[in-house]
Amino acid sequence: MVTPPFPSRVLITGVSNPLGAEVARRLAPQVPWLFGCDVDDPVSANEDMDFVHADMRQSVIGKLVRRLRIDTVVHLAVIVDSGRGDRATHETNVIGTMNVLAGCAGPASSVKRLVVKSSQAVYGARPEYPSVLAEEMASLSRGESSITRDLIELEQLSHDFALRNPECRVARMRLGYRVTRETSLGRYLSQPLIPTFAGFDPRLQLLAEEDAAEAIALAALGKQEGAFNVAGDGVVLLSQAITIMGARSVPVLPPYAGWASRMAIRSTTGVRLPSHLAEVLMFGSVVDCARLHQEFAWKPAHSSRAAIDLFAQGKSEDVIEAPSPPQEYELQRYLQRRKRERRHGAGHAALTAGP
Amino acid sequence: MSRDTVAVYTDAPRVRRRHSRDAKVVTPAPGLRMPRAVRRLRRNAPMYAIQGLSDLSTRLRELTGREIIDMNRVMELVQFAYQQQQLAKRGANYVVDDFGFDAEWTESFLPIFKALYRDYWRVETSGMEHVPSSGRTLLVANHAGVLPWDGTMIKTALFVEHPHPRHARALVASLFMGMPFLSWFLRRTGQTVGHPDDTRRLLERDQLVLVFPEGVRGTGKLYADRYKLRRFGRGGFVSTAIRAGAPIVPVSVVGAEEIYPMIADVPALAKLMGLPYFPVTPFWPWLGPLGMIPLPSKWRIQFHEPVHVEVHPPEAADDQNLVMALSDEVRDTIQQGVYDNLKLRRGVFI
Repeated sequence: MVTPPFPSRVLITGVSNPLGAEVARRLAPQVPWLFGCDVDDPVSANEDMDFVHADMRQSVIGKLVRRLRIDTVVHLAVIVDSGRGDRATHETNVIGTMNVLAGCAGPASSVKRLVVKSSQAVYGARPEYPSVLAEEMASLSRGESSITRDLIELEQLSHDFALRNPECRVARMRLGYRVTRETSLGRYLSQPLIPTFAGFDPRLQLLAEEDAAEAIALAALGKQEGAFNVAGDGVVLLSQAITIMGARSVPVLPPYAGWASRMAIRSTTGVRLPSHLAEVLMFGSVVDCARLHQEFAWKPAHSSRAAIDLFAQGKSEDVIEAPSPPQEYELQRYLQRRKRERRHGAGHAALTAGP
Repeated sequence: MSRDTVAVYTDAPRVRRRHSRDAKVVTPAPGLRMPRAVRRLRRNAPMYAIQGLSDLSTRLRELTGREIIDMNRVMELVQFAYQQQQLAKRGANYVVDDFGFDAEWTESFLPIFKALYRDYWRVETSGMEHVPSSGRTLLVANHAGVLPWDGTMIKTALFVEHPHPRHARALVASLFMGMPFLSWFLRRTGQTVGHPDDTRRLLERDQLVLVFPEGVRGTGKLYADRYKLRRFGRGGFVSTAIRAGAPIVPVSVVGAEEIYPMIADVPALAKLMGLPYFPVTPFWPWLGPLGMIPLPSKWRIQFHEPVHVEVHPPEAADDQNLVMALSDEVRDTIQQGVYDNLKLRRGVFI
């Protein structure tokens, strides 16, 4: 008997955002069966992916995994950067991950590979932290912001899961801060006048959207275990980033007054800055990606500088152009149906899932 | 009518192309253009000023027979001003390392620190041959004076006296890394937070790292306790040096104790302001900002023979007995160096 190629049946949770869509696009030619699920409609229809509406906050994910005999789960339904309230984010991040892990657990489980999206925000940012953060330093953080607390809890859950299920290899990908029109940092840097913290010029490390998607796709196809920092080479100072974006910095925010400053930014520019980003904009955050380079034999194609240059030139958006989720959903359904009919006609096995 | 002309001017600014094909398109800034003579005068003003000053200097030398205006110093200041202008022009086209260090920017401040080094504190440095020209090295020095001028002067000494100038990367208490403006300046000029991981990383990049094991215990001691070295932490710097395989060069600094003679400490005020100590000197806080001017004491810096801790295997870093013994050896060398240099110094201010 020929051993089936691994991974053969991949499920991407939280696929309905530009990153998820890009990961799906990259994985589609490399895996025989690709499934995607999310609460929202997809942002980009993908013929090679079967999409299903599913809420990670419910235990439906376990059924999905068992019925589809999924062997690889790419868990992207983790919110790091959103304008939603802390409680809703906590529900998605922690309870959602618990459900996914419960769905993948058990000795009879078909899941052999789990990739969990995390973020550089897991470290938080404090002046007393080492200048360059390695993977094991996440324990330094006392969880000053709610996102950091969520991410620490989520990573702890994944770590415990890996210990209890040795046959399933778990990789936690700590993605660096990304600058796109969807991220708070990107929106913040797109203002013509940028309020900054007086007397601070933090070091920023950025990750291009393409590199983030590539890292997740590589992890889904690979066997590496543990936590990995994923970020571009080098650092860019906030003042440099502002100059590159053609904006002017206005150093008016009082230092240490994170909450008041966030309110001030929101009322003047309309950007909702999450609290972990306010810390980064004061003290900076740089991570050590040596482990990623070593174990994946790969490094992001764009340096931090290149990532901000791309954003300034408006090129970071060409990954997904002008999404319209409800229409994309209709298109996705149509493509799935057509593909299934074609397969029936050709005498192939029917796809067991799909709406 | 006049409105129209204004609109035409702003919409289609006058574009001049220089003779060269590679030359950039020059768009004059909108607004009033000065007459040509005024523009030429403005462009040449610095040149005329230097020429005039040079003439004056020669005239004064002939008159008095002594150097009243040293043109070399003047040129250094002009160079400093010019460099600052050039730095402002580079926009975002520069690179800082992972620690936020901007070498070009830091070097632009050297003229000022060199002037302090030569003329204000008249620093005499010895033993510079003990600092290697390349490779990882840990400089360990005594710490004194309320503000860390001693670190600045050690860094300047390496640039003034060493045949192959190198940037020393000093480790700073994390408390200062959270302060606005100060943390920005410290990071930009190559300092980093005093964390063992940062020391290891810098040493692995073959940098010259400067550490003050006394920390704020050293800078915050009273004038009465001057030149008595405090406890050298728990010898963490020795463990880091052994692990990274870097020799330790002890450095003794004499003179920094007198720049702000600290008569008393007000712990209550310090606690209120989140500082490690609140100094009271004969001038601070009575004279306000004037009290922050350091006194012109006479300084001596001595670099001692390296303590070769790299001969020990990396596992030895966990041997607390060895680490404490080496730490004491370094401390004794520095303390002895401080006494020797105090004897060599004729007086506090001469």
